[in-house]
Amino acid sequence: MTLHLNLEKLFASLPTLFNKGYVFLFFTALLIVFFILKKYQYLLRSLLPFKYIEKSITEDLLKQLYHITSGQKITDFRMLSRALKIPERKILKVFESMTQNGLIYISDGHITLTKTGKNYALSIIRIHRLWEKYLSEKTGFDKSLWHDLAEAKEHQLSKEETEALYEELGRPRFDPHGDPIPTALGEMISEMGTSIVGIPKGTVAKIIHIEDEPKSIYRKIIKEKLHVGAHVKILTSDDHHIIFESEGHSIQLSTIVASNIQVVLLNSQEAYEEGKVRLSSLIEGEHATILGISSECRGANRRRLLDLGFIKGTLLTIEYMGPNQNPRAYRLRNTLIALRNDQADFILIEKTQYDRTRIL
Amino acid sequence: MENKDIQDLLDLASELRWEVGENFHDTLVEGIYADAAHIAQKTEIKIGEPNPYNFERKLDQVLTSKKYGFPIMILILSIILWLTIQGANYPSGLLASFFLEFLHPILKTGASQVGLPWWLDGFLIDGVYLALGWVISVMLPPMAIFFPMFTLLEDFGYLPRVAFNLDSLFKKSGAHGKQALTMSMGWGCNAAGVVATRIIDSPRERLIAIITNNFSLCNGRWPTQILIATIFIGALVPDSFSTILASIAVINIALLGIGFTFLSSWMLSKTLLKGEVSTFALELPPYRPPNLWTTLYTSLIDRTLIVLWRAMVFAAPAGAIIWLISNIYVDNLSLANITIDWMDGFGLFFGLNGVILLAYVVAIPANEIVIPTILMLTVAHLNLMGAGDGVMFELESTTETAALLHAGGWTLLTGINLMLFSLLHNPCSTTIYTIYQETKSWKWTAFASIMPVILGFLVTFLVTQIWQLFH
Repeated sequence: MTLHLNLEKLFASLPTLFNKGYVFLFFTALLIVFFILKKYQYLLRSLLPFKYIEKSITEDLLKQLYHITSGQKITDFRMLSRALKIPERKILKVFESMTQNGLIYISDGHITLTKTGKNYALSIIRIHRLWEKYLSEKTGFDKSLWHDLAEAKEHQLSKEETEALYEELGRPRFDPHGDPIPTALGEMISEMGTSIVGIPKGTVAKIIHIEDEPKSIYRKIIKEKLHVGAHVKILTSDDHHIIFESEGHSIQLSTIVASNIQVVLLNSQEAYEEGKVRLSSLIEGEHATILGISSECRGANRRRLLDLGFIKGTLLTIEYMGPNQNPRAYRLRNTLIALRNDQADFILIEKTQYDRTRIL
Repeated sequence: MENKDIQDLLDLASELRWEVGENFHDTLVEGIYADAAHIAQKTEIKIGEPNPYNFERKLDQVLTSKKYGFPIMILILSIILWLTIQGANYPSGLLASFFLEFLHPILKTGASQVGLPWWLDGFLIDGVYLALGWVISVMLPPMAIFFPMFTLLEDFGYLPRVAFNLDSLFKKSGAHGKQALTMSMGWGCNAAGVVATRIIDSPRERLIAIITNNFSLCNGRWPTQILIATIFIGALVPDSFSTILASIAVINIALLGIGFTFLSSWMLSKTLLKGEVSTFALELPPYRPPNLWTTLYTSLIDRTLIVLWRAMVFAAPAGAIIWLISNIYVDNLSLANITIDWMDGFGLFFGLNGVILLAYVVAIPANEIVIPTILMLTVAHLNLMGAGDGVMFELESTTETAALLHAGGWTLLTGINLMLFSLLHNPCSTTIYTIYQETKSWKWTAFASIMPVILGFLVTFLVTQIWQLFH
């Protein structure tokens, strides 16, 4: 007997099949499954055959071990298993082959990286940080997504691709969070900043690093629009809270959040700019001089603003505002340019008196 | 020895790069910019007092004010649309009667005198020529009216102010204020709307504008909407109200299109396009009197004729195919009839029918020829006497069209779904080709072509299911 597919009959029977609201139930069920899958997508990884995920587990483990050993801490399986969301028996299996390949050695129950292992770990960190740099310069992904995207990409790029990327980005030395990128030979400077917590009141400092893990804390920091390169002035600091000023805004963070921000104290050459505020805080009728564009504004966005004439020393004022005061039209260099307020946040200004002799 | 020195130097440079930090490249570039600006400022000689821009300031304050900004904008756009739709009727009629009623019989007679075989005559004159004539007569006049007016406003400097006013609205859906302009341009012609997205300099927002432009009900679809609304929706109420109800229905479809533009813009910017670079900045150029002749020339040559040419290039083979499927017979049934029968079950599933689906497949070159194709296919399918197999036509009165469609088994549901499907289906081939020209990416071209069809099937399917729950 042969199977005979009668399309006409099939189409004719479909309407009755989908009638009476069953179709809505079906779609709802589909949606629910989709959301569950999206929420627990990291679980999908462990469903794959082991040989496909061994490389990425190895590399994740190497990275973890590198960070832990440079922090002089002792590790155990359970901690690694929890950090990487991988069952312990799989980690054990990967460790066995890692020992065979000479990446790690185990003595007195301690896991230590060999020289090969350390270099491998550094090369993964290099890809991760280069990719974050790439995402920040050449794409429009929101910065809260950079880490996760780089976390996936670091297992995929080959050595040649990494070097091509390095050249394309203009041989960067730091990633957008201020972390140093290891060179191809595995050289890297150690981090030199201190935590913003515990700096005495009245100190002025510059943010050099914002840790992007854990994500919940990182989200809190970027919500305050803090960024690498911003100047801060500590107003008060106690065991629970720290209040400081940055770009004309007073910011309060709990100690646990603030401890993920690393700063260096400012030297005499780069004095704290007292009147440095964001362009978005300008009100109608006031005049201002541009002090610069925040380092948070990168790539195409930055070049576009420079092309339009938002350059240090330019005088500008608000000409008129759109609905909800956003966007606003600014007059500078004899032209009118409208910017959205989240863009105006990137432009740092100093409010000034109107000067008739200078062009607007 | 020398090599060693060079190596030392390179090592030193490499080491120093850690110390100069992340921003030195930017600082350098900004220094150059600032120096250039400083030098320019010193050497620039200004004569007299700087221009106080009094007139411009006043005009800007009115055109961008909360009170008058929106009413003025809506008024100007409505006038343009009204002039386009009403003003195009007369020249369209003239062109149609010239190409279809005057020249067509002459060509037919000429062909029979020369002694062309019936199939060549049908293929060339009834197929290719008729499709071309149709496309020119329905496309040329509205475009020739719409584009010059639009370009005049652009030259005057008003359109950037519209973008400024509407930006906060578009920002919510992740789009650029200038999309308001490309969207309005789409009401004239989607292909031209896609070309117009060049004014958006931010890559992400430009792609959004290109992909969603199809949701602007273009000039080729307004007549379909009006005809179907009059036949099926206007007929629901007494004659004196039918025009009003039909117009409300058409306006609602256009508004639904705007709704879909916002919705799909928002979804695209949150999902597929979230990795594209986005830079917002809107230059508001000074007002200047538009240069009438240059504007007329550029809008006629650059926009109207190029779009028309592309449409003709695609219309000719489509006309040939329409004629062929109606005249090639297998087992005493024309290819058209076989396909219609085959697609009917599938079509009914979405509250449409085989004729509509086949018409949308073969009339891909221009939305304007959808209705003539539907009429021709319906006649052929019912074995009635039309203008002849594979000859597109339009009926003189709406009543006749209504009678024909009712005979073809159309109901109110078919009418509503055709209106929805006419809004939500793949762009015409001219637009598809233009999307490729603008994006240079097969991926986005395919996405922009397929996404609206899927949406169209989804919407008509849901409407049909809900309809059947109540009937």
